[in-house]
Amino acid sequence: MSVTEYDVVIIGAGVAGLTAGALLSERGFNVALVTKGEPTACLSTGCIDVCSQNKNPLSGIRNLPREHPYNLIPEKMIKESLCLFQSDMNDAGLPYIGSSDENRSVLSALGTSKISCLIPSAMAAAPQENNNGSIHIITFKGLKDFYPGYIVSRRGSTKFSVYDAGVSTTMSLASRFEEKAFFEKFIAWLEKQTIHEEMIAFPAVLGMESATDIVNTISILTRKPVFEIPTIPPSMPGRRLFNALKKNFRQKGGVIYWAWPVAGTEKTGRVMEAVSTNSAGRPNSINAKAFILGTGSFVGGGLTATRATIEENVFDLPVHIPGPRETWFDNDYFSRNHGIGKAGIMTDAFMRPLDSPWKNIFVCGSILANAEVLKNGCGHGLALATAHAAAQSCSEYLSHEL
Amino acid sequence: MNYEHCIRCTICVENCPVFRVNPDFPGPKQAGPDAQRFRSEREKAQDDWVLLCSQCKRCEMACPCGVEPAQIILKAQQRYGNEHPQTPAHLLFANNYYLSALGSLTAPIANWAASTRLGKMIFRNMGIATYLPFPKFRFRTMRNEKKMLNKGRKKVAFFHGCFINFYRPDIGRKIIRLLVSMNVDVVLPPQWCCGLPALGNGNLSLARHFARKNAESLSNYIDAGYDIVYTCTSCGLCLLHDYPGILEIPQGKKIAENSYDLHEYIINLMNEEYVKPQFRTVNRKIAYHIPCHLRAMGIGYPAQKLMAQIPGVELEVLDESCCGLSGSYGFKKENASTAIQIGNRAVSLIRRTKMENIVSDCGSCRMQLGGLSGMPAFDPAEILCEAVLPATSPENFHTDS
Repeated sequence: MSVTEYDVVIIGAGVAGLTAGALLSERGFNVALVTKGEPTACLSTGCIDVCSQNKNPLSGIRNLPREHPYNLIPEKMIKESLCLFQSDMNDAGLPYIGSSDENRSVLSALGTSKISCLIPSAMAAAPQENNNGSIHIITFKGLKDFYPGYIVSRRGSTKFSVYDAGVSTTMSLASRFEEKAFFEKFIAWLEKQTIHEEMIAFPAVLGMESATDIVNTISILTRKPVFEIPTIPPSMPGRRLFNALKKNFRQKGGVIYWAWPVAGTEKTGRVMEAVSTNSAGRPNSINAKAFILGTGSFVGGGLTATRATIEENVFDLPVHIPGPRETWFDNDYFSRNHGIGKAGIMTDAFMRPLDSPWKNIFVCGSILANAEVLKNGCGHGLALATAHAAAQSCSEYLSHEL
Repeated sequence: MNYEHCIRCTICVENCPVFRVNPDFPGPKQAGPDAQRFRSEREKAQDDWVLLCSQCKRCEMACPCGVEPAQIILKAQQRYGNEHPQTPAHLLFANNYYLSALGSLTAPIANWAASTRLGKMIFRNMGIATYLPFPKFRFRTMRNEKKMLNKGRKKVAFFHGCFINFYRPDIGRKIIRLLVSMNVDVVLPPQWCCGLPALGNGNLSLARHFARKNAESLSNYIDAGYDIVYTCTSCGLCLLHDYPGILEIPQGKKIAENSYDLHEYIINLMNEEYVKPQFRTVNRKIAYHIPCHLRAMGIGYPAQKLMAQIPGVELEVLDESCCGLSGSYGFKKENASTAIQIGNRAVSLIRRTKMENIVSDCGSCRMQLGGLSGMPAFDPAEILCEAVLPATSPENFHTDS
């Protein structure tokens, strides 16, 4: 069995795992991150929802039920985690605007408003509350899953035009926008359009790593506010966020093991010592002094529901189950009140799992019990805040142990 | 096959390099799990677009549900290959091993012929793209190396793979010197093409033929106490993943359990304190392009760990892009434009790093990225040799780069 030793192993490559990993690497710890696949963050709009229940996200958090995991984190740390995220993303070339004092609106592909806290700058110019300004949407011939008609039906003054880019998926369009020759040709077409509306919007396909620059360039050229509208997956803003977090983690010294689903663990007494995977050929194991679990809930692969119960997939930690199976689901499919949203891992204030012997496992992100991220609109925000708390406890634990 | 586990989340599609640039390919979700529901044993395969998949396996890396789109497509490719006549290019690349063996025996003539206008015209007429210069055959392949026995406690049977053997035996010799300098015995077991090119060109029976021969040879060495070390990450993935998997080789499991990536092996030697290499300063700024098949192996990036220990090395890891060549994939005329577009994207990300050298474990990645960018491209073992081996070699090895 090949063995490698780290200070910390992070399990899960989502917003929580990559953030906790970057923090610990920055503090000088030797950090490895293992992941089965890519995170659900790639499917997201890339916006950081902190708490969308209230105009002010922090007041929203204060009104959450007592058992919500946000209540384990001091408000100061929640704010710091958002500020640090903004400065890290700025360094990674993906600036975010907004602050923890006020939520903002993002125009959705259905023409409704999505409420979120930190917004990629490419979406920043979207009309805020009570702004009924006219929008001109530029979409692409054959682009699946984006229909300006939905937006026109909700905002009467909206017009749209269609550009034939020769390709018709979000991935291929974003790729084309990274090519200089394509962008120049597109700009030449755009300059010939007469646009009377006040703002210009695009489905979020304006490049991958250059999105911010592309939006700025178009805005300067047309002398109008320009913004992107997030699409359903494949979602480019989600992938840009994932890429930027990954870059930040690596720059701080972390290493990533892909195709590494944890299949086994080694432990002594109250200490978890290693995780292993059945990689091609032979089991591969990684030793560490501490572990951070950020595997997400059901879709992310952290939890599995069976007919009878709900299991945590890596360390077999005790799972908080909201009640008997009849209470797991609401009759209305689109309800935000499915009981199963409360399932997850309960922790103490140090983010250590309750009712389990392990003193060197720290939990963060949407796997936490009672998070109800859909209902509360708190996915990535909770991931950032709890990643800070888990990294803080983990680093105190390690300094104490060493 | 787990195609029913697909929740249609499209993360695989986001990761497909071909889908991004070639509208004719429906993407891993549709070509894999979606189409699988409609594939019937009773009807002749009609899905010729499965041949557009380059088998980079990035979709499998991304899937959160354990569906293996590339594996589903690979099986569909084998079936299509079995039920339809093979094009000359597919036949040629499946038999790449024999072709290269001939090329090496007649290296000066073969290289000259391949570089002439007539040669290129013949290539193009056979469906072979000529945007990259065809790699140069080497007269003196690895076969001619003698055994390097120092009575070390560790014994390695080196699976060099076709690329090293026929085109860059100099790198193969450096790797042998590197291992010998770490007090490891190295032998070259009788070996053939790993079988991956045949598999990639839809020729399952030929792939199995190669695999059986290798398995018999390697298995004997394992029984005699040797560890198998490979350097080509695609050969490695084939040994570890396809021998016990789709190729159903009886000794597959044993081979997979005893085969190591070169750098993984060196790290193990260091972990066991068998060696304590002293790294000299190497002043190089390196963009380390991770081959898709190394990423798929689930062993992390061992060469990154080693290079990071070399003083003077400045390293940036790039694993977001496929190089596009994918072995023989990009050499087929119908795939050339796809391969060039994918490759240019990888090159633009490399240029953003402002590094001066490309390093990659895979020979075909180096060929593609070096060719498209004009930057020097090295094997990580070459960087390691610069840091470990004395500048002038005691063994008087002939290097021909």
